[in-house]
Amino acid sequence: MWTVAALMLVIFSWWQLKDPTRDFAVSNAGDDKRGVDSAAVNEVVNIGEKFEQFGSSISNYKGTWSRFRGADYDNILKNSLPLMSKWAPDQPKILWSVELGEGHAGAAIYEGKVFVMDYDETKREDALRCFSLEDGKEEWRRSYKVSLKRNHGMSRTVPAVTADYVLTIGPRCQVMCVKRESGDLVWTMDLVRQYQAEVPLWFTGQCPMIDNNRAILAPGGSTLMLAVDCTSGKVLWETPNPGGLKMSHSSIMPWTLNGKKMYVYSAVGGVVGISAEGADEGKVLWVTKKWNHSVVAPAPVCFPDGKILLTAGYGAGSMVIRVAPDNGGYKVEVLKEFLPKDGIASEQQTPLVWNGLLFGIQPKDAGPLRNQLICVSPADVTKVVWTSGKENRFGLGPYLIADNKMYVLSDDGTLTILQPDSKKYIQLDQKKLFDGQDAWGPIAVADGFMVLRDSKTMYCINVKK
Amino acid sequence: MESKEAPKRMDRRKLIRNGMQLSLGLSLAGVAGWSATKSSSDDLVWQLDPFKCVQCGRCATECIVTPSAVKCVHAYALCGYCDLCGGYLKPDPNARTTAAENQLCPTAAIKRKYIEEPYFEYEIDEPLCIGCAKCVAGCTSFGNGSLHLQVRHDLCKNCNECAIARVCPAEAFQRVPASTPYLIKGDFTKGKKG
Repeated sequence: MWTVAALMLVIFSWWQLKDPTRDFAVSNAGDDKRGVDSAAVNEVVNIGEKFEQFGSSISNYKGTWSRFRGADYDNILKNSLPLMSKWAPDQPKILWSVELGEGHAGAAIYEGKVFVMDYDETKREDALRCFSLEDGKEEWRRSYKVSLKRNHGMSRTVPAVTADYVLTIGPRCQVMCVKRESGDLVWTMDLVRQYQAEVPLWFTGQCPMIDNNRAILAPGGSTLMLAVDCTSGKVLWETPNPGGLKMSHSSIMPWTLNGKKMYVYSAVGGVVGISAEGADEGKVLWVTKKWNHSVVAPAPVCFPDGKILLTAGYGAGSMVIRVAPDNGGYKVEVLKEFLPKDGIASEQQTPLVWNGLLFGIQPKDAGPLRNQLICVSPADVTKVVWTSGKENRFGLGPYLIADNKMYVLSDDGTLTILQPDSKKYIQLDQKKLFDGQDAWGPIAVADGFMVLRDSKTMYCINVKK
Repeated sequence: MESKEAPKRMDRRKLIRNGMQLSLGLSLAGVAGWSATKSSSDDLVWQLDPFKCVQCGRCATECIVTPSAVKCVHAYALCGYCDLCGGYLKPDPNARTTAAENQLCPTAAIKRKYIEEPYFEYEIDEPLCIGCAKCVAGCTSFGNGSLHLQVRHDLCKNCNECAIARVCPAEAFQRVPASTPYLIKGDFTKGKKG
């Protein structure tokens, strides 16, 4: 009996003394020994230093797709030429293609010229390149040396083009304004050096805006948003950033609420509305930090009734807020917040509003609806009106509407034509245009030409009827 | 068309990647060889098809071996070496650091190592891995899908009635020849994805 008791005592003592967590290791920040990006810290960039002219041409085309999401920021081409809804076996024809640096920067089209922001890895240069829409011949490029390493692509912004100017933001937040026709340098700005902007992960995704001859930019850092006169390069206003919002991959969207024009920006750390006119131009009208995610790419989708759909990837899901006038100011109310499996969400592209309905492709973490095109009503963005079904899945690629047809580009270069509809998914045709990879750059369409890209090549196809 | 061919040279990232691929290959080949000595060429063993796997988590809870004989393996050739790794970091992490609160893996079985800006390498510490597939789900949703599960044959008892296969909702478990016991994502499985 004493033996058993002694044994039990030993076991009890062992049990008491044993630390079951003794083999555990503490996981601390910095265990990966992250280094510093020396190129970003030390490099002095002479923005727009180099110009090359390769040729010139006169075009009779007058169509435009002048910026990110087109003329009205809605990804819908108005007054389009009649476009094909079905293709013969040898259609659509790839009219030309151009090799680009790895990236997702979409093109802008202006009266027969194609403008694209590219990165030349051999020369280590950001380059605004101007091509002829008809034959893809490069006419000029304005470039500057800057060091980048591939990080799921390099350039990823669409230039803003007006009759007079082209405005670009490079991967490391260098801004360049040039004359549209000649490529002559007008002014430049380094948002990191001048405004302490933090270059977003995977480089800049914010597409620049020109509104009423003013460049509108959102650096984050010391200044949340600013306006620059395109002609003189003079800074017209700067919005302070006491809340420390950071630059996201999202782009500024104009919005008019109850007759008041404002700029809406979905930053990292919050979403903000900044006055775009009048005595309070450049002042913050409203801000909320309830929308706070580390990676935000889609632009905010603003509705006339004061609602805004905010969405982001990497598990963030979506939020619907309502902005309303309140005692001479504005109040912001969160109406809904949900995961991708519970309603419309997007990782990269901005959902599209057509005929009072909202269309978007669900991200991969959206459960059974992953990668499906879905249609929801803005009245309740968690209630699905229709889906493309499990047989019709897409990817992270872009989509737009022209001539009452919706064009969806899949990651691998497959282009699908749909009939936008309020009741059901109607597919008109589908064709694999090229052996692509990561075809995520926004599409541009004008004069019956459609300019698309995958991660390494830009293509122009004829979609005219 | 322009040509932009860079001069061919072995960079550090490629060297490390090749090294990791070689170690993974040798490790799996070793286990496969060891398994082969225990079985004839006609024998079958359990394996899961990573392209069918839906990351339900049952591999961690249903296996009769504790921790599970199913482990995460890493196809380095497919990895994007991302800073924001969906397999390593929780969705929407506070920061992209190795701090425990930012890690997705419940047992800290993935080691993250800085290579050079902007690349990070991820290595599985197999003894810590419980086969829960949380990292696989993250990598599949937000990355290239390089992290995936495999039955490790040095641990698997090769039960006649595999407890995981019985409940696998994707029917990803299948018997494969003991001479080719792994279904690793990579070059030889290209084309299977669609």
